[in-house]
Amino acid sequence: MAAVSLHRVSKQFGAVHAVRDLTLDIANREFFVLLGPTGAGKTTTLRCIAGLEQPQTGDILIAGERVNDWSAAQRDVALVFQQYSLYPNYTVRENLAFPLKSKLRMLSPQEIEQRVARAAATVRISHLLERRTDRLSGGEMQRVSIGRAIVREPRVFLMDEPLSNLDAKLRELLRAELKGLQQRLETTLVFVTHDQVEAMTMGDRIGVVNKGELIQVGTPHEIYNQPANTFVASFVGTPAINLLDLQVDLARSRAHNGSLAFTLEPATCERLARVLPADGAVCFGIRPENVSLVAGGGLPGAIYGAENHGAEIVAVIESGGHRLRATVPAKTPTALNQPVQISFMQDKLHFFHPQSGERLRPH
Amino acid sequence: MADIQIIDAEKHFGANHVIRKLNLHIRHGEFVVLLGPSGCGKTTTLRALAGLESIDAGEIRIGDRRVDQLPPQERDTAFVFQLYSLYPHLTAFDNIAFPLRAGGMSEAKVREQVNGVAKVLRIEHLLKKRPSALAGGDMQRVTIGRALVRRPSAMLMDEPIGALDAKLREEMRTELRRLHVENDSTTVYVTHDQVEAMAMADKIGIMNDGVLQQYDDPDTVYDHPANLFVAQFVGSPIMNVVDCACEAAPEGVRARLSGMAEPFMLHDAALAAQLRAAPAAEGGLALGVRPEAITLQPAPAPGLLAARVNLIEPLGAYDIVDVTLGEASLRVRTASQFVRRPGEDVWVGLDAARTHLFDKRSGLSLRRND
Repeated sequence: MAAVSLHRVSKQFGAVHAVRDLTLDIANREFFVLLGPTGAGKTTTLRCIAGLEQPQTGDILIAGERVNDWSAAQRDVALVFQQYSLYPNYTVRENLAFPLKSKLRMLSPQEIEQRVARAAATVRISHLLERRTDRLSGGEMQRVSIGRAIVREPRVFLMDEPLSNLDAKLRELLRAELKGLQQRLETTLVFVTHDQVEAMTMGDRIGVVNKGELIQVGTPHEIYNQPANTFVASFVGTPAINLLDLQVDLARSRAHNGSLAFTLEPATCERLARVLPADGAVCFGIRPENVSLVAGGGLPGAIYGAENHGAEIVAVIESGGHRLRATVPAKTPTALNQPVQISFMQDKLHFFHPQSGERLRPH
Repeated sequence: MADIQIIDAEKHFGANHVIRKLNLHIRHGEFVVLLGPSGCGKTTTLRALAGLESIDAGEIRIGDRRVDQLPPQERDTAFVFQLYSLYPHLTAFDNIAFPLRAGGMSEAKVREQVNGVAKVLRIEHLLKKRPSALAGGDMQRVTIGRALVRRPSAMLMDEPIGALDAKLREEMRTELRRLHVENDSTTVYVTHDQVEAMAMADKIGIMNDGVLQQYDDPDTVYDHPANLFVAQFVGSPIMNVVDCACEAAPEGVRARLSGMAEPFMLHDAALAAQLRAAPAAEGGLALGVRPEAITLQPAPAPGLLAARVNLIEPLGAYDIVDVTLGEASLRVRTASQFVRRPGEDVWVGLDAARTHLFDKRSGLSLRRND
C-alpha cells in the first residue's frame, strides 16, 4: 500500500499535449478517480503511473520515491483494463496463479495455492476456479481480471474503465463490490472513468480532467456542490445542471435575459454582491433537483417534455425562450405544453463567469 | 388511422423459439416501447410488424387489414434503423424527399412536405447538406424525417438513438416524444435501455426469452411489476430483492429476512390477503422493495429495524446507502450526506404499500392482480 504523487507531469504525443503540467497527491489507501471525457488525458496519466508511458517532464512518486526510471514491474503496481486480458485456454485458477509463478517471486506452490484461494474468495469466484476463462460471462471475466491483480498484492491498483464493457445492472453491482473490496483490502486505488456516476459513487476523491489539464480535485460532495467551472458543473450530475446567462441588476434585485426575469432574494443579492463582475453578466447554474414547480408566483413556462424515471420525473420546461430541467416528484402531471410556473432554490444557485466559465469567487 | 394487433404470434429461427405466443394491442396514437435484454425477441417482433420477418403462426393486423402475408411496402409502416441509412450522395432534402418522389408526388408537393417535416424536426438549416457534413444527432433526425414524411400508419424504430452520446440521447428522447405527439403518430420503439422506455413510452412491453412479461404504462410497470424479471429490469438503482419468510396476519404480513432474530410487520392488508390467497410457494418467497421506498432514521423508533451502514454511494442529488439488515443487504435512497460513514448504526423502515412479495420459483408477484 502506498501513496502516489505526480509533480508537474507533462506528456506529449507529437504535437498533442496529452497531459499538461499535472500535479496531484493521492493518499495511501485512497480510492481516487480520474474523471473526464474521451481524450482528456486520464488514461495517459494512469499509464505514466504504471510505467507504461514516460512523461517528458515531471516526477512520479510512489511511497515517496521517485520512480520515473523504474520499470513497470519494479513499481509493483497492478493494472486492470477495460478489455479482460485473460489467457483464454487456461482455467481461472491458472490465470490467477500466473503472475505468482514468476521466478523473481520464488513463491512455494503452497503459498501460491493459498494466495489464489484468498483472491478468488475476495472477488467471489471460488466456484469458478476450474473453469476455462473463455466460458465465463463478462462480469465473471472482469472479476477474474481484478482477482489476478489482487493476488499479486501490489502497492497500488490502477484501473482503466474496468466496468465499461458490462451491462448497466452488472455495472451497478460491481461498482459497490469494487468499493467494498478497496475498503476491505485497505489499498490505494486509482480508477479512470468517463462515467460520472462511477466517479461519484466510488471515489473518496475525484480529479476532473479535461484537455490534458486537471481542472478540480475534491470529494464527490465538493465536486457536485462547488464545481470549479461550468465544465465540471455540466459533466457531473444527471440530469445535467441548467446554465443560464443572465444580466444582474442588484439595485432592483433582478436577474433577467430577454423575457426570462426573476427577483433575487436578499441572501442571493448578498452572495452576488461579493462576486459580481463589473458588467453584471453572470452565468447562473441551477441543478434540476433545485428547480421546482409552484402553484403561483414563479417563472411562467410550459412543459416541453417530461421523462418518467419511476422514482421521479425529469421535466423540461420552456420559459422565456430557455429550456430548463426540473426534477419533480413521481406522478406530477406533466402533459406536453401544459402551462406551469417554476421557482429556484436560490441558496443552491451557482455563479460562473459567462465567458471563462470559471466559478465566480469573492473579489 | 389504425390500431395494430399482434395475435398469438410465434417465430422460430431453427431450434430457437424467438417469439412465443405473443399478443399485443397497440392503439392508434400510442408510443409503445418493446423493452428487454438482447435476444429477448423485441427486434424480431418489430421486424415482423414491418414485414422484414415472417411469422410462423398467428396474425398481425393494422386497422382492419390482416397484413402478416403482405410485403413491407404494402403495410404502410416506416422503419427507422439504428444505423444511419442515408444516401451519401444526396442532400438531406433529397434524402427526405426520396420516398415521396419514388411515389410519383409532384415536386411542389414534395417541397411542401419535406419543409413541413424539417420544421418539426428543426433541421431546416441542414437541408442543403450531405450526410457526411452532418453530426450524428442531425443525421439521425434526417433519417427520422425520411420515415416521417410518408405519414405512415406506424413508425417502427429499432434503437434509433443507441449510438449517440449520452447528452444527445437525452435531448433526442424529448424530441422524439414531442414529434410523436405533434404528428399524432403511432410509434413502436425497441430498446434495451429501461431509462429510454420509462422516459418515452405510453406503454412498455417487457420481453424476455421471447415471452411478453408485462404490458402496461410506465408507472404501473414501475410500481406493480408483474414478476421478478420486470421488477429488476426496470429501475435504477435496481430493486432490492431478498429472501423472506412470510406469514399472513390480521393486520398485515409478518416477515422475517434471513439472519433476523425477530419478524417484523408489513402493515398492508391487501398484501396479506394476497399472501393468504396465493398457493404455498414451494421455492419460498422473496421480498422486493425499491431503494426509495425505504427510509433511514438515525435513532430507533417503533416499527423501525436496526441495521448497519455498509457503503455510501453519493450521486450528488441524493445518496444510495447500502445497509445490512439481518444477513441481507439493502440499498436505500437517502438525502445527500444523511449518513456520514460506513459502520454507523441506522434504523430502517419499509413502506409496506410499496413492498412486494414474489414467488421465487415462478417469479410472479403476489401483487400482480392489484
